[in-house]
Amino acid sequence: MNGNSTLAAHRSQGMKAAQLLFPAYLWLVLAVFLPLSAMVFFSFVTEMPFTGKPWSMTVANYAAFFTTGIYAKLLLSSLRLAFEVTFWCVVLGFPAAYVLAKVLKGRSREAIFLLVILPFWSNGLVRVFSWAMVLRSGGILDTLLNAVLPFKVDIDLIYSYPAVIIGLVHSYVPYIVLTCYLSLQAIDDSVIEAARSLGASRFTVLRRLIIPLSLPGIVAGAVLVFVPVIGSFMEPRILGGRTGTFYGTVIEDQFVAVFNWPLGAALSFILLAVVLFILAAASPVMRRSA
Amino acid sequence: MSPLTRLLEVVGRLFVGLLLAFLYLPIVIMGLMSFNASPFYMLPIEWSTTWYVQLAGNAQLVDASLYSLKIALATALIATTLGTAASLALFRYEFKGKKILQALLLPPIAIPWLITGTAMLVFFFGVGIGRGLHALILGHVALALPYVIIVNNARLKTFAPELEEAARSLGANQWQVTRRVTLPWIAPSVVAGALFAFAVSFDQFVVSYFLATPGQTTLPVEIYAAIRKGFTPEINAVSTIIIVLSMALMLFTARFYKFGGND
Amino acid sequence: MASVEVRNLSRSFGTFKALDDVSISFEDGGFYALLGPSGSGKTTLLRLIAGFGYPDQGHIAIGGESVERVPLEKRNIGMVFQSYALFPNMNVFDNIAFGLDVRGVPREDAAREVRRALELVQLSELETRRPHQLSGGQRQRVALARAIVINPRVLLLDEPLGALDKALRLDMQVELKRIQREVGITTIFVTHDQEEALTMSDRIGILRAGQLVEEGAPEDIYRRPKTRFAATFLGEANIFEGIWTDGRLRLADGTLLETAPGAGRGATGEPGCCLIRPEQVRIAGENDGGTGNRLEGRITRRLFAGNWTTVFVDYQGKTIRVGQANTDFLKLEDGSKVTLAFSGSNTIPLQS
Repeated sequence: MNGNSTLAAHRSQGMKAAQLLFPAYLWLVLAVFLPLSAMVFFSFVTEMPFTGKPWSMTVANYAAFFTTGIYAKLLLSSLRLAFEVTFWCVVLGFPAAYVLAKVLKGRSREAIFLLVILPFWSNGLVRVFSWAMVLRSGGILDTLLNAVLPFKVDIDLIYSYPAVIIGLVHSYVPYIVLTCYLSLQAIDDSVIEAARSLGASRFTVLRRLIIPLSLPGIVAGAVLVFVPVIGSFMEPRILGGRTGTFYGTVIEDQFVAVFNWPLGAALSFILLAVVLFILAAASPVMRRSA
Repeated sequence: MSPLTRLLEVVGRLFVGLLLAFLYLPIVIMGLMSFNASPFYMLPIEWSTTWYVQLAGNAQLVDASLYSLKIALATALIATTLGTAASLALFRYEFKGKKILQALLLPPIAIPWLITGTAMLVFFFGVGIGRGLHALILGHVALALPYVIIVNNARLKTFAPELEEAARSLGANQWQVTRRVTLPWIAPSVVAGALFAFAVSFDQFVVSYFLATPGQTTLPVEIYAAIRKGFTPEINAVSTIIIVLSMALMLFTARFYKFGGND
Repeated sequence: MASVEVRNLSRSFGTFKALDDVSISFEDGGFYALLGPSGSGKTTLLRLIAGFGYPDQGHIAIGGESVERVPLEKRNIGMVFQSYALFPNMNVFDNIAFGLDVRGVPREDAAREVRRALELVQLSELETRRPHQLSGGQRQRVALARAIVINPRVLLLDEPLGALDKALRLDMQVELKRIQREVGITTIFVTHDQEEALTMSDRIGILRAGQLVEEGAPEDIYRRPKTRFAATFLGEANIFEGIWTDGRLRLADGTLLETAPGAGRGATGEPGCCLIRPEQVRIAGENDGGTGNRLEGRITRRLFAGNWTTVFVDYQGKTIRVGQANTDFLKLEDGSKVTLAFSGSNTIPLQS
């Protein structure tokens, strides 16, 4: 008939696709993308509009971040927390993933893999809470250790920085195990054997083959840990007590205690910028795996 | 196998064992303590179910549980329906902007819930949606949708498009093709997606924390409030129930959906 | 059952012309093979007849009814896929019943039809098996039964035997042919296997780069191809190039080859080529005179393949294949001089 028919067929495909896609994406736009964009707007106002109070546009909320120094300092301490948690997660998670992928076989591998990622799908709040009980002074850990050890120990980690680290590592280490396991499993065993047959030592194989090949998995896992940890507020609150003031908890305060929503929005948006920067920086490495 | 290799393997297994201990120890202790009559967690354990009995009488926690359950069921239903439809479209059709649509699934997962939650609060407040049940469902479904779509897409990758073509060549219309050929194939991932959606909603604390009204909150928000007021053994009991249930749910999901593999 | 008419059909994918102005007719009840290398457009042609996508230009008629804008599910065709595409969630019976089911045929009538189809493909005892419990050949039969049970106007087969091993493939060729005769349905099947096309079909269409190069009965195409492409694609071929001189082909060394009359003959002075099949070439004794074309060459290699022997003869730097069911060849030695003889009537002029 004519050359337009292909185009028409293409368009009708698009129409059919649109019918199926529309509800889901409308929902995402309404509940995620519009809110995120709206937050930009609300971060530039003096008072929340629609409350009856007079309001105007301002950059004061961002000025507060850059001039007072307190928020920037908290952001830095959140970043430091995220680095430390990520570090420990990799240190614990990568070797475990390696053992799972290359040492264990068959059913025991399947079962242990499931056991490792299972907590990650259970309630995070409750898991953090369980640590609070273990770590507090006069808690289970003291009692148990004192029953075994001849000398008196007093473990009072609750409401301390290490407690926050322990809780967060506990929460996020399954991510690292999962992503590293997937990329380690993709490495053909014969590649490792070939390297060994060429005379490479175990350490050389690890350094020259295994780590470079599983790097996308490590980076993906690290990002999956790092990003939520910078924005964490529940874990520091429960396990950190007084020492648990981080960037996330300050944002929480703006919304539930101080009720300075515009400042909260500005602080959230700055955090979002940091997060997007990290995701963008890591994406070239992560894409290699895909 | 050389002795050194064997030694390294033993060390490796030991390491994984320690990691598992680290992951499960606090949960197990919490579970044990929920059966300890002493409110101060004194040892040795004095076995008792008193906290569970008290929990059953705690109207606030029971209410919050039912509220959470209601939201999670609604979320699972809506997210599974919308998400499965979207994943079928992404699988079936070629169109401009498909890559962008797929990329748009990542922000709800990758952006910290603190940011998403506060953004929802501000926006819903601004446009008059406010807080409460509808806001919670709106938010939870949005968080669950990407999981449903991603899980379905992974399963659809193993589906041969000729099966749909064959069904159509035999005279089946689009709906018959979907219902009789495609959906049976992706049934495991639809079920897994629904379970994920349920879990995302039922365990959701951060977003609920900002979107729930103070009078009527979800279980995790209620637990958080109780923890911040001080430890109570009842919270131990309810937490134990939650963790056992959510792990059982995930074990069930894993049976259905062999994370990425297929039988 | 119906004839299929294809007129001036074109289809592009982006800048790639998958089909370029193809016209061909398939008569009612015939068995047609579409043959060509990959990318030749044979599968595209089959899929357009089936209704997977619409042509950019041209017409398709099934049984005289124009269908190029009719969607696939309304065309009433039977299609067998290379992968068979059996529904994994249904057993053999339900797979075959599917097409009747979606047409709303009552369960009992459908069951009767399905049983008959199962009998036809000789799988009656396997109706409750699942696809993954079947062998490749059995799957193929189920796919066939599923396609013909809906009583389609045309049966379309996309490389139906491609996934089977060689022995099974020969069995299935016979089987497929038997079933097609029994049902009497117009059948079009796509293959890249020339032997399959030759043994099974009533007519063959050869495609290349989106165009129909040649069409005809298998024996005609094999014995008297019109084009160089068809000559070399279908079977083994010795091709001589030269200059036409009064209906004879003058080779580079001046030898004149007698050729059969045909459209491939060019006017005197034009370059051209002709075909001689290996089995039409004979190795003549030094002095056994005779008429026809005679060339002198030297044996370079002999290939024994049981019932067949191929001898490679070097003639002026060009290798000529001579094939015969004659083991006397084995007595010849590499390097020995031979005379090749073949008649002019078997030397076919080709259009290039």
